[in-house]
Amino acid sequence: MRKLIEFRNIVKSFDGQVVLKGVNLNIYENEFVTLLGPSGCGKTTLLRILGGFLEQDEGTVIFDGQCIDNVPPYKREINTVFQRYALFPHLNVYDNIAFGLRIKKTGEDIIAQKVNRMLSLVNLEGYGKRNVTKLSGGQQQRVAIARALVNEPNVLLLDEPLGALDLKLRKEMQRELKRIQQEVGITFIYVTHDQEEALTMSDKIVVMNAGEIEQIGTPLEIYNEPANAYVARFIGESNIVTGTMVKDYLVRVDDREYECRDFGFKPNESVDVLIRPEDLTVVRPEEGVMRGEVKSVVFKGVHYELMVETKTGTSKTVKMHVVTQHDMDNRETGEKISANDFYVDSEDLESGALTDRDFISIANAQAWDDENRDISLTEVSHNIEPKPGVYNITFSTDKKTEITVKVYVVHPEYVEDARHNIGISALDFFITPDEIMESMAISTDLKTWASAEAWNLQDDSSVEITDVKFDFDPAAITEGSYDITFATRGRVYKVETTAAKAAGDKVGLAFGPDEIHIMHKAVEDA
Amino acid sequence: MKSFFRMSYPYILWIAIFIVAPMLMILLYALTRMGNETLTFQFTLDNFARFFREPTFISVLIRSLRIALETTVLCILLGYPAALFIANLSEKKQTLMVLLLTLPMWINMLLKTYAWRGILQNFDLVSEMKVLIGMVYVFLPYMIIQIHTSISKMDRELFTAAYDLGANRWVTFKKVILPLSVPGIISGITLVFLPAVSSFVIPKLLGGGDYVLIGNLIEIYFITTGDWNFGSAISLIMALIIIASMYLTKKIDRNAQEE
Repeated sequence: MRKLIEFRNIVKSFDGQVVLKGVNLNIYENEFVTLLGPSGCGKTTLLRILGGFLEQDEGTVIFDGQCIDNVPPYKREINTVFQRYALFPHLNVYDNIAFGLRIKKTGEDIIAQKVNRMLSLVNLEGYGKRNVTKLSGGQQQRVAIARALVNEPNVLLLDEPLGALDLKLRKEMQRELKRIQQEVGITFIYVTHDQEEALTMSDKIVVMNAGEIEQIGTPLEIYNEPANAYVARFIGESNIVTGTMVKDYLVRVDDREYECRDFGFKPNESVDVLIRPEDLTVVRPEEGVMRGEVKSVVFKGVHYELMVETKTGTSKTVKMHVVTQHDMDNRETGEKISANDFYVDSEDLESGALTDRDFISIANAQAWDDENRDISLTEVSHNIEPKPGVYNITFSTDKKTEITVKVYVVHPEYVEDARHNIGISALDFFITPDEIMESMAISTDLKTWASAEAWNLQDDSSVEITDVKFDFDPAAITEGSYDITFATRGRVYKVETTAAKAAGDKVGLAFGPDEIHIMHKAVEDA
Repeated sequence: MKSFFRMSYPYILWIAIFIVAPMLMILLYALTRMGNETLTFQFTLDNFARFFREPTFISVLIRSLRIALETTVLCILLGYPAALFIANLSEKKQTLMVLLLTLPMWINMLLKTYAWRGILQNFDLVSEMKVLIGMVYVFLPYMIIQIHTSISKMDRELFTAAYDLGANRWVTFKKVILPLSVPGIISGITLVFLPAVSSFVIPKLLGGGDYVLIGNLIEIYFITTGDWNFGSAISLIMALIIIASMYLTKKIDRNAQEE
């Protein structure tokens, strides 16, 4: 195949924002090439530079062996199908398609012949006299394609041409476009953010991200051997985990070694490991390469999508003491006040991180009058010292309505999980049945009451606590002590399967060396 | 729905008193003979016959139509490039330019025309030329704003599409911009031609006493001569001409849109 277009180091920025960071790309004759990427990745900008509607800041565009940087758009042998079609509203279907030919002073008899051929190519025979503004989206799209193709360009540019169509019509037009491209046999350069569209139609996909090309390849290559985690995530569903390449054909993930088909990595190089959800087979636990518990099941039509946790996260269990506290009444003023006993971490006291406001919120201290209006607590007095022990704290209002509760100061107790680099802490706490019953988001409230938090041991960044386990019914809680377990996310795999499973089922996951794909870690953009 | 309709009662009353009733009076005057009293009920078509039998009146009518036509054509020729220029500016500058254009419209036409009288005294021009200059000056902003609105409403992607299909800037203008701005031109014509035909202040002040247009003729018969019946007949003739030309432009507009 002959090289038709060559982008050499194209750089373009708008208002100081770099949109294309030196793009190099070759496009060959008769190819269906798709520029694929999220909005803002620079794909449309690249297309507009090729069309001549934008000028690059740096670099050269070679077309058919010649530099076309200074060729105006109307002299380029390239035609475009625009995103919003851009049909001329004052012309009918026939005159829209004939527009380019009339400019070239083609004879009317030849125009008639060519336009009619185009109308039948796009399945719009007999639509010539129609008003373009009265056509449906799909029909306008066909007119736009015919209007561009009638000029017999060497290259047809299509800028998200199916974006405005509904799903069914889009599928239909995808097949149609592929057929037209094969029939006329010219290069199509197609811009889209829809990965499925790209996979269906293209001979070659160019995956772009933030002004750079991430990978160029056939749909199969892009899907099966993505260059990095970005491409893998963008195309199709994926499970990507961090692993270590022990040696060629052997990768270690979560302390287990798996055979693979990849080689050429540095010994012990940290890599991304990709397993597609449809490549994981659900088997009985004892037969699986990995074992886990089904966390959720979503029905997707042809298959179920399971989330299977193969390794639990780091967790910490605390006691919740449910006690009924009696409100303190102040007969003279008609005010009432309540507060709970609470636990506090001696380390937090030492660092002085806790203020009176914090004590009020940890103790859930509140006061109200006989009409149930909230009253602010203006005074907090206590004898708390940063040493383990039991202390008293008194909250009171302006009118000297007061309540005293116990404060248990305890040594910090962290769970440090060195293997996952995660620390987690939570404190026992006291609570009233009413507060639990009134809670609208019990898991979130439990985290707050227990001051539960998790963090990365290396950089101290916070880690989300995804799991709050308890076995009581919040709507029918009684006094007593309950265990609450807080945990971070473990290793969760997305699995596509036709096997019906329920959340909580123990399953095994099986896969072979062909089903895992190793990728270099992408260099993070600064 | 009914209560909304009730809200239009004051407006209907207003129309009835200030538009419909005077129109009926004019019709009545035009169709009756002059008497000693203000109104007689002797019906006649003499007033109309008198207008069409007298060559002077006909030539005034033709002159009025001619100068209105000249004004309109000049407004299109001067206004189109201006509108195109403004439409190509940044949005901020466009707002400013439109404001600058409308600014003179806030000043009373009488004042503006007096100013022109002072300026034009220094030049040795025929009356008709002076009147033409005054008319173009007064009516040009209406034309520019109408055309500018129609151009700035166009989808820029259409111009890109024209370039893409091989049209250079001139062909793009001829084949896309111009045809799509026809509705703007038509409404510009309505706003310029109709008031120009009937204007009487501008010819009176700029043309000197000897330059008479149909508007002035009506004024003379109502105020100077006191022949309300004949004045009404001329008014009616002019109203018919205006209605006819409005109908014509509407029809041209509709044809253009259907194409």
